[in-house]
Amino acid sequence: MSGDAVARNNAVGPVLRAGEVADAVVEALEEDNPGKEFTVEDRVAYVRAETEGECVVRAETVARVLGRPFKIAELEVNLSSFSGRIETTDDTMRFYFEKRL
Amino acid sequence: MLERSEWYDIARDTNWTPSYVSQEALFPPEMGDPYGIPTEEWETFDEPYKVSYREYVNIQREKDSAAYSVKAALARSKFHDEADEGWACVLKLHYGAVALTEYQACQFQARMSRFGPSPAMRNMSVYGMLDELRHTQLQLFFPHELVHRDRQYDWAHEAQHSKNWAVLGGRHAMDDIMMTRDAITSSVMVSFAFETALTNLQMIGLSTDAANLGDHTFANLITSIQSDEARHAQLGTPTIEIMIRNGRKKEAQQAMDIALWRVWRLFSITVGIPMDYYIPLEQRHMSFKEFMHEWVINQWERQVQDLGLERPWYWDIFLLDIDNHHHCQQGGIWSWRPTVWWNPPGAVGPKEREWLEEKYPGWNESYGSYWDVITNNLLQGHEEKTHPQCIPIICNMCQIPISHRPGPEWGARAYQREYGERRYNFCTEVCRWIFDTDPERYKDHETIVDRMYSGEIDPPTLENVLKYMGIGVISEGGRDGHDYGWVEGFRAQAAE
Ligand SMILES: [Fe+2]
Ligand SMILES: [Fe+2]
Ligand SMILES: [Zn+2]
Repeated sequence: MSGDAVARNNAVGPVLRAGEVADAVVEALEEDNPGKEFTVEDRVAYVRAETEGECVVRAETVARVLGRPFKIAELEVNLSSFSGRIETTDDTMRFYFEKRL
Repeated sequence: MLERSEWYDIARDTNWTPSYVSQEALFPPEMGDPYGIPTEEWETFDEPYKVSYREYVNIQREKDSAAYSVKAALARSKFHDEADEGWACVLKLHYGAVALTEYQACQFQARMSRFGPSPAMRNMSVYGMLDELRHTQLQLFFPHELVHRDRQYDWAHEAQHSKNWAVLGGRHAMDDIMMTRDAITSSVMVSFAFETALTNLQMIGLSTDAANLGDHTFANLITSIQSDEARHAQLGTPTIEIMIRNGRKKEAQQAMDIALWRVWRLFSITVGIPMDYYIPLEQRHMSFKEFMHEWVINQWERQVQDLGLERPWYWDIFLLDIDNHHHCQQGGIWSWRPTVWWNPPGAVGPKEREWLEEKYPGWNESYGSYWDVITNNLLQGHEEKTHPQCIPIICNMCQIPISHRPGPEWGARAYQREYGERRYNFCTEVCRWIFDTDPERYKDHETIVDRMYSGEIDPPTLENVLKYMGIGVISEGGRDGHDYGWVEGFRAQAAE
């Protein structure tokens, strides 16, 4: 790594505590963000899912994958961190950057 | 029931025009906003991570019951009977450094919840305050059951009340950024620099290693804590955006730069040393440097740019420090092991050194040369020679012994400042710069070594100094956690 190392990426997405919710969110991300390529890194205790620039998690999709009711606020229980910035609505969480590099 | 978005804006709008007291008396600038940014501007504060009180209570209950039930389920396991002392060191260091720091964070959040100029900020920091109280309680309760097996775990509760040298550094930094600043400046310093950039290291960095080792209680605990941080750390971004929009970019930048460095110096010890030395080789999932690059260089620095701030002016020094500081301090802390409350293993046997060389090219000819001397002394049965006979020079800002990379790249130099009656020593240009931003603020604090000369520790005999630091009082001090077992690999090599 050079002394000039600096982030030249637009990677955004959640870092989730490993478990069924993490798996469901990864599946939902792929479904709700068509055409986007996700990299998923499994680090035993946590999972990092990332894509370029922007992605959205919808409670409805996570609920369907899980096979039980799921409110977006519940995602917080498993959302240990995230890359990018966050925006929350009544039923979605969005990760994004304002500026693209 | 109404959706949150249908009532949220009205519910959080709790500003009114005071008639019994002046606005200034209600929100004194030195506690809230010293920058004079208009109230209407603060009213645009829109927290990106929203939660209602009802949601908050439900979610936190779920988090807590999971953390406590994992602990209860594993309470009878033999994990701690069989765990490596290196891992026990990680826990002792973590709890001592973190538990009551969380309580300071609780007070910092409380200050925002009372004096924050934006009603949305006051609302969100109420949750932040409750979060930090939860973190304090969890991290006092979890180690408590370990005290009966090893008194060193008692530092979870005692460390912050002690004058141990390692605690002085932590307290100096936290007092600086969390306890003695107005709500706005400390929001930049803590919410954005500390919580967004660095808490991930402590709370996520150690979780994979914990899970690999089988300490699921701890892995579960710290990632649960971090899920609160991910939310309340978001108090920093709207604060910074409003400051920039109102001509206060310079002040936001300086606050961020000061805080990142201050907390980094601590975390390179509390996370860097564990990840690269204390955790048994087989269970290490990443080097500290790799982790820093993923989480701070790639993840956080990118957010800095997105917000419209610059990376800190000392970025190159920071990158060098990522390669070096924790290696220096592993050597230092191990050498002065009787002064700490955990049993640091040297943990630089042949295999570990191979790993270190691979992760940090040049480690062997630099840090390795320091450990060569120690290893030879131990192999020859001269344990007494591994205890230094001199006192280190301590940085007047970070309170950490001044150190440099040994070996061919030796670049040690003094960073000094004459101010008022005395001379101050600093580890780096950065710590000196922080002093220069406000010398009056910092000038009266004495390092542990200053205290040996000023009469605070009188007489400054080894015995008195240790006692002053809580050693032999709260618990015994440290010894090599592996009873020097790590040198045996070299004896075997020599025999071959
Ligand atoms: Fe916390
Ligand atoms: Fe926090
Ligand atoms: Zn320093």
